[in-house]
Amino acid sequence: MTATSAAHPSGSTGEVAPQRLALVDLLDRVLATGVVVSGEVILSIADVDLVHVSLQALISSVRVDGDRPWPAVAGPTQSAHQPEER
Amino acid sequence: MGRPSPQQRIEVDRDSAERGLAALVLTIIELLRQLMERQALRRIDQGDLTDEQIERIGTTLMALEERMDELRKHFGLTPEDLNIDLGPLGPLLPRE
Amino acid sequence: MAEELGVWAYAITTFRSEPKDVAGVTGVDHEPVRTVEMAGLVAVVGTVHLDEFGEEPLRRKLDDLDSLEAIARAHHEVVAFAARRAPAVPMRLATVYRDDARVAAVLAERHDDLLLALKQIAGRTEWGVKAYAANAANATAAAGQAEADASSTRPGTAYLLRRRTQLSAGENARHEAAESARDVHETLSGLAVAARLHAPQDPQLTGEAGWMVLNGAYLVEDAAAERFAAKVRALRDRHTALRLELTGPWPAYSFSAIFSAIEDKEPSA
Repeated sequence: MTATSAAHPSGSTGEVAPQRLALVDLLDRVLATGVVVSGEVILSIADVDLVHVSLQALISSVRVDGDRPWPAVAGPTQSAHQPEER
Repeated sequence: MGRPSPQQRIEVDRDSAERGLAALVLTIIELLRQLMERQALRRIDQGDLTDEQIERIGTTLMALEERMDELRKHFGLTPEDLNIDLGPLGPLLPRE
Repeated sequence: MAEELGVWAYAITTFRSEPKDVAGVTGVDHEPVRTVEMAGLVAVVGTVHLDEFGEEPLRRKLDDLDSLEAIARAHHEVVAFAARRAPAVPMRLATVYRDDARVAAVLAERHDDLLLALKQIAGRTEWGVKAYAANAANATAAAGQAEADASSTRPGTAYLLRRRTQLSAGENARHEAAESARDVHETLSGLAVAARLHAPQDPQLTGEAGWMVLNGAYLVEDAAAERFAAKVRALRDRHTALRLELTGPWPAYSFSAIFSAIEDKEPSA
């Protein structure tokens, strides 16, 4: 078993800059994928729909009434340069 | 995190409520405009309109588009603001 | 009153760490990360306070984009840490067990499934490829320009003809983008052990104006990673109507569904 199994293959994949992971890409993965073993779990947001719906509802409400409770979430390249200074 | 203070927030809310309503109304009008436009084009293709009818419909839709632009700018809305998210159905209007 | 605690699960692996391996690694509640072992499996976990990470408080946190981000990133950091050392199956965000005993019981109960899942991702890495239709708007605008010199004696008619050209240019561009996306996905799937499509991302979250036509995840043998990246570059050259983005390497989030013979679940997508 090689310890490098999940590690970085040879580094000439130039597209993958060592910048901050985009939140959306992360959410695609941590919210909707991965092992789900419930039963006697205190909590499992395995029914992720709840989060999605809440988030979606929040976003939709932002869109309709024009109020932005937070600054527009920057795209992947921008977030690399801006620390949390909201 | 820079959320407006309670007092500021009232002002913000009133303006954005107005803007929000405007966005909603203009979105509906935009939807109708697009539907009418597509209907007109379909009938042109079908060939069952006279030249005068085509011209009249065209100038009307053109005027409507200009008026929409004015209203949109008046409320400080971008074209992207005029849309409604239908969740799993996607956006109401096609994203150009 | 004793503070109520729970055990947040990050990932499952077979790699047995020494305490020094996980020293300094912290989780969603800034807690020290540790492990629970059972039957040759190792769960990477952390003890969390239920007044912050119990059901109700957590739901509230997950509804707020800022705290959701903080939690998602913290969770991912631990998963990535585990995955760097050995194949690790990520747990879905917000899986909190009552105590270590329950975690150990899960490892025992789902032992075979978990081993199978680990076997399927060993020596492989997940890569993400997203594609945006870059030029639909340009096509529409260009079409409009071409017709702009049309007759001024019949401006209404000219307007409608221009709109028709624009609309069909837009439709053609969209169609081409969808076809290109399909080619990209099929080609990359051919280089991968497994492939999965995620839903297009919400533009409000991405801040991207373009239309996302592909959000794919690909499980690629580590030995083939270079070839995969090269193929992405080649596809980028081939499909000029698309903007391709490669993300990764990722822990195998998208390929970690585990199946139970008893429940007879279908693999997800």
